[in-house]
Amino acid sequence: MTQLTYAKIDQTILDTLTPPKRGYWIILVLLLLGTLMGAACWLYQIFVGMGVAGQNNPVAWGTYLINFVFWVGIAHSGTLISAILHLFRAGWRNPIARAAETMTVFAVCIAGLYPFIHLGRVWQVYYMLPIPTQRLLWPNFLSPLMFDVIAISTYLTVSSLFWYTGLLPDLAAIRDRTTGLRHKIFTFLAMGWSGAHEQWRHYTRGYLFFAALATPLVISVHSVVSWDFALGIVPGWHTTIFAPYFVAGAIHSGLAMVLTLMIPLRKLFKYEDIITMEVLQNVAKTIVLTGLIVGLAYGTEYFIAWYSHNSIEMEQFRWRALGDFRWGFYFMVLCNTLAPLLFLFKKIRTTIASLFIISLIVNFGMWWERFVIIVGGVAHGFAPHAWGLYAPTWVEFGIMIGTFCLFFFLFMMFAKHLPSVSMTEMKETVAGGHDHGA
Amino acid sequence: MAPDRHIMGLFKDEDQVVSTLDALKASPFEFIRVNTPIPSHKIMDALKLKKSKVGWFTLCGGILGFLAGFGLAIFTATRWDMIVSGKPIVAIIPFVVVGFEATILFAVFGNVIGLLTQMRVPNQDWLQHYDPRCSGEHFGVLAGCNAQQEDELKSFFKQRGADVTVFETG
Repeated sequence: MTQLTYAKIDQTILDTLTPPKRGYWIILVLLLLGTLMGAACWLYQIFVGMGVAGQNNPVAWGTYLINFVFWVGIAHSGTLISAILHLFRAGWRNPIARAAETMTVFAVCIAGLYPFIHLGRVWQVYYMLPIPTQRLLWPNFLSPLMFDVIAISTYLTVSSLFWYTGLLPDLAAIRDRTTGLRHKIFTFLAMGWSGAHEQWRHYTRGYLFFAALATPLVISVHSVVSWDFALGIVPGWHTTIFAPYFVAGAIHSGLAMVLTLMIPLRKLFKYEDIITMEVLQNVAKTIVLTGLIVGLAYGTEYFIAWYSHNSIEMEQFRWRALGDFRWGFYFMVLCNTLAPLLFLFKKIRTTIASLFIISLIVNFGMWWERFVIIVGGVAHGFAPHAWGLYAPTWVEFGIMIGTFCLFFFLFMMFAKHLPSVSMTEMKETVAGGHDHGA
Repeated sequence: MAPDRHIMGLFKDEDQVVSTLDALKASPFEFIRVNTPIPSHKIMDALKLKKSKVGWFTLCGGILGFLAGFGLAIFTATRWDMIVSGKPIVAIIPFVVVGFEATILFAVFGNVIGLLTQMRVPNQDWLQHYDPRCSGEHFGVLAGCNAQQEDELKSFFKQRGADVTVFETG
């Protein structure tokens, strides 16, 4: 491994912005086609009606809400890495912070699409906005669904502004090394940033406040998402453990997605000297921690059900492990709690292939966790005559695949047009500092 | 009076910048600014900079958001003031969620306004007398002098191991 210098950091990262090869465009076009396929499925649903999706009594919340929670969860680790680890002065976050923040912004955008999709009559989305209308109706802020509207829109706004603020010095660095149209674009985007001491004086302070504000926000947002469920009286949902359980799960899945994204990025962009094995190991160790917290939450849910002596709650959890969707439960326990424990072995957490495979397994498991919670609760509620099952239709699968394609499409666009590693923060790491915070 | 010449000494080492800044204070030349690729605490300490006022914008934004969030929730609830199951129209506990999110949102807006106004961006004037190497691996110390002192200032920087850039216009 070569010693990192400022020049080498600039060169390595700016090299990633050179015109891409044909393979890149082929993958991009395929992802675009996948996205268009998803959009076509949504259009079909709009024209034909919500009946084309598999959601029906008693399971009115299916893949659309599962994916909503899944993508909000993915978003969370970006803020963990960029804000919380920043406040803790964890220097190892610097090489992956930019990509994780970007992942956050795109994941919240994708998550935000799902309530629109789930609405059915999407053009009536303005009902959720607190605007005066001739209907003389206002949103009901006692509803956790309205909490969600305000929390998710706040989260998207804050994470986008945080992301752009962090990007500013790097945009100036690109401006100073480009010519022609790209120079003009980056001159506009960099807003006159020159790294003058007067600018840094305010910037470091402002960045610190961003981190300090984003930290409680990220915890509140997934707590609010969990209250979509916990504030209902549905067995399996109505529990006080949901907020910390969801926050831990969100960070767990997000960290796994960071590995899923960073490992190919590291290989393709030759980031081995920047995103070192130590950084990946630290992510893996954090996944062990979050996996154990999630495992504790799974166990605690069972304990609460048993300790409550509530027969309906006990039946819900018996059915979760032994009922129709038991395989979902086994997936979530195996993939989210047991598979990450393999990272306790140094050999496994220092092998790229195993890091990548386990990250995929955790992503898979976390999707199933949301399936088990969301579908399981309403499928097996209070009244046995109202029990039912649920299976997604091809329309739901199409939309789901489309949104995955959209996420990777956006991420690939970002990776080739903006610096996927923060040059400034890497230089600070080399200089022996930590990061932007004053 | 504005200096005739703007000369930038470009260093690769923070410590050299700090010692140059100390020497510059004792010299007849006018210190203008330092451009750096990273926020350097050593340089900031050497310049004895005052604490930024961005935090006041953030605080004001937060207070405004807190009031706006609760205000919105209370206002909308009182537009349809029908008591259901004895539950209060103005229910403080659920409104805390709205108040909290609005506090964070407006505090961030305040923070952004504070950053834009205090850093004085967007403004391309910052790029006057600016060397693009300062966003790469160099720390640029910009100083001003009159035309007669030009060689003296150049040698001042060169003696301290800097590359020198002279900006002709005032």
